[in-house]
Amino acid sequence: MKSQSLLTSIHPATVPDSLASHERAEIDASTRGPVLLFFGCSVFWLLVGSLLGLVAAWKMTHPGLLDSMAWLTFGRIRPAHLNVVVYGWAFQAGIGVALWLMARLCRIPLLHAKLLVSATLFWNLGVLIGVLGILAGDSRSVEWLELPGYATPILFLAYACIGVWAVIMFRYRRPGHVYVSQWYLLAAFLWFPWLYATANILLIWQPVQGSAQGAVNWWFARNVLGLWLTPIGLASAFYMIPKVLGRPIHSYYLSLLGFWALALFYSWNGMHHLIGGPFPAWMISASVVASILMIIPVITVAINHHMTMKGHFEALKWSPTLRFTVFGAMAYTVVSLQGCLMAIPSLNTITHFTDYTIGHAHLGLYGFFSMMMFGAIYYIVPRLVGWEWPSATMIRWHFWLAATGVLLMVGALTIGGLLQGLALYDPKVSFQSSLDFATPFRWVRGISGFLLLAGHLVFACLFVQMLLKIGHRRTGPALFTESKTEAASL
Amino acid sequence: MNKLPLFVIGVLCTFAFSWLGLVVYPFVKLGHLEPVPDEETGGYFPPTLSGAAVAGQQVYAANGCIYCHSQQVRPASLSTDIAKEVGPRRTVARDYLRERTVFLGTMRTGPDLANVGLRKTDPNWLHRHLYEPRSVTPWSIMPSYRYLYKMQKIQGQPSANALRELSGRHAPEPGYEVVPTDDANALVAYLLSLKRNYPLPEAPLPAAK
Amino acid sequence: MTSPTLPPEEGFNEKDHHEEIDLAEVHASILREQADPKEGGEPIPLWLLTIFFAIVFWAGLYLANNSGGFRADVFDPSQAVQVAGGDTGPVDPKVLGKRVFTQSCVVCHQPTGLGLPGVFPPLAGSEWVLGTDPHGDNHLVKLVLKGMQGPVKVKDVDYNNAMPAWTQLSDEQIAGVLTYIRSEWGNAAPPISTEYVKSIREKTADRTDPWTAKELLDIPAEKVPAAESAPSAPPAAPPAPPAT
Repeated sequence: MKSQSLLTSIHPATVPDSLASHERAEIDASTRGPVLLFFGCSVFWLLVGSLLGLVAAWKMTHPGLLDSMAWLTFGRIRPAHLNVVVYGWAFQAGIGVALWLMARLCRIPLLHAKLLVSATLFWNLGVLIGVLGILAGDSRSVEWLELPGYATPILFLAYACIGVWAVIMFRYRRPGHVYVSQWYLLAAFLWFPWLYATANILLIWQPVQGSAQGAVNWWFARNVLGLWLTPIGLASAFYMIPKVLGRPIHSYYLSLLGFWALALFYSWNGMHHLIGGPFPAWMISASVVASILMIIPVITVAINHHMTMKGHFEALKWSPTLRFTVFGAMAYTVVSLQGCLMAIPSLNTITHFTDYTIGHAHLGLYGFFSMMMFGAIYYIVPRLVGWEWPSATMIRWHFWLAATGVLLMVGALTIGGLLQGLALYDPKVSFQSSLDFATPFRWVRGISGFLLLAGHLVFACLFVQMLLKIGHRRTGPALFTESKTEAASL
Repeated sequence: MNKLPLFVIGVLCTFAFSWLGLVVYPFVKLGHLEPVPDEETGGYFPPTLSGAAVAGQQVYAANGCIYCHSQQVRPASLSTDIAKEVGPRRTVARDYLRERTVFLGTMRTGPDLANVGLRKTDPNWLHRHLYEPRSVTPWSIMPSYRYLYKMQKIQGQPSANALRELSGRHAPEPGYEVVPTDDANALVAYLLSLKRNYPLPEAPLPAAK
Repeated sequence: MTSPTLPPEEGFNEKDHHEEIDLAEVHASILREQADPKEGGEPIPLWLLTIFFAIVFWAGLYLANNSGGFRADVFDPSQAVQVAGGDTGPVDPKVLGKRVFTQSCVVCHQPTGLGLPGVFPPLAGSEWVLGTDPHGDNHLVKLVLKGMQGPVKVKDVDYNNAMPAWTQLSDEQIAGVLTYIRSEWGNAAPPISTEYVKSIREKTADRTDPWTAKELLDIPAEKVPAAESAPSAPPAAPPAPPAT
């Protein structure tokens, strides 16, 4: 930082890359314990979460399914599914990716890995206790905050260890340019504790009176996605795309605009889940406006990614990491623009309260974030364990199961949700019709759940093989199509 | 962007902006509302809840009713909620000041419940519906909440609170009866209390025709 | 290292102890890596900035038109004009007064305004309320502001009790409640204006003790100035439909 000239701070592409292979190896070795542990736990919760989601999905078409016991009722399985996939899978995969990226980009080894390992254990303990609490009926039914009040302090403690290390790592980074992924990661690590503390205090520990809860609730739920998971997903995309292709990100200035527009607008989005709700008109209007202003960061990031990829799309044929990441990046553009549209009050009045929203949520959390995480994990794990992915065919299966699964699910819920919404909107149509319209699409969604679960089983199988270093031993990287010269870069 | 302090301040300021607007503002302006005195009866709007109804909120939360049922009426300018008789008027912040957890909800897989106490006034109907939804609404996809009820042998006289009019395959075997647990009674008391049909200064009732 | 999910591995632990890592031992995946990501310096296209500015401009307009005046009690932007318009004029003092009365006065003086015989004096027909000679409107405002205690005669009945001070109520609320009790239950005295309450509050600002009936009656009686009572009837302003 101190040796920066004016030129390099204005035009960062001139900063030389100074990381040698042995330094990378040293950094990777330092992150190995905690990052692999985060990944391993996240894969476990991914399987649990998909199973819970599958049960919840089929309960929508078969209300008699597993209905005899309190802990298996839809109203507990569904929040358990959400909390497992968010706090179990997405958070831990995200933290693992974020820590590795942070160490690589700060160009220093991760210090005190043992502390992070115990933080991981605490985090998982918190999620486990919390999910059992939900199934036992201790949830307060605050969306995205269902984990009971006795589980969240454990999570907070665990997060404190993790977040502090990320920030400390940044503080002691090696001098040089700060890359766009680092902005997103550092910001996410700073935002989350504020977000989580506010929401827990005002909703669970000392609930604020009345409908103010709704505002705090959706400010939180939206921002967990928008200011925690989204920055990590984008940081991963901003790293993986140029890294695999070996070319720079298109424009520093677009990165800058995209980052600050996200920071400014996303955090105001929450109230678009409550259009027509019991809130002062200006709060709703501000969220509508902020949601539509999200076009700016989304288009900016999309152009930046697209221009980086331009002319190199054939890399998607061979690189698993890139294929997952680009799928995620495209889903991010689509889901965000869809979000802008859904915030327009005249459209929201149809889609609000229907399966459409569920489809949108899955396109965001799965199509964008989870796919991004899969891509990153495929890149990172071989570097940590010194073993190549044993089967490119299995990776291909994972990709196609996940991609068709999520597209089928989102497609079905989108169409079904629109029909349901139109039925709910028309005063002449009975409520029963809204169910009749949605039911066939809920069947399709149930089937898509099997595809996703199958994909996750393939992924888990691959991951376990990597941890144990078993399966087919290959010398080069696992690529979809072999014998490409570019393939050397993966 | 290599100036760390500037970056951190920027990141925290943008966030504080929305925190002030969407957390602190509602906390101050909506978090301390008072009930409105009713000039006709000397009571208050929204009315106080009975102890059973407050316990029912807990049951409502524990069993996740919120994931299929909303509790809010959108204004006529924005939706057809009022035409569809979700409620007589839109709901406003003051309607929820007695709720410990506010169940606004984001789904209408099932009907909105903001005014279910106006539509359903018979506790036995609600009990039957919770015990076996398809015994009263054949097309319902609501799960059964049988676990909130006890099937027991009739000792002498049938219990006064036993569910009536359970028929067909949902009926208990002869000599047995279905009685609600405390949780079921609390939940029904809460549902019956859900009536947002009183006027508020910020949400008057539409003029009666 | 410490992770329970990790099998013990050869080679890696040794590496940790070496200052310099032998290139041959570095994982192949690391060796074949591309350079670390960098950023290009392409400028933001002008057309994109133009579109973004247009969106921001539209956003500002939308918010301005749908903000409901940024008020906490306006829930429907389409009603904003109505509610905001209603607020520019004063609230009907009788409506406000009834609300204050229900909150603060009804416990003693009862909804009927008849009080409790022998304990709390009535307001209906009370000479203190109506300001009939020798009582003045100034006495009424003063006793509400600072409270009153000791013996007092109302409608020829003796009472001996204490009324708390209501100094925490605003001038508008006191004017409203007095206007209300002077026009309810068959009472028909002129309204008390906010300005009149304000003037009396300023004059008696130093007093902290409650009044006694004797003290009040020693003060020359005043009538509320007629001109100041004008704001009492804003809802029935000329353009409004005929009031009943």
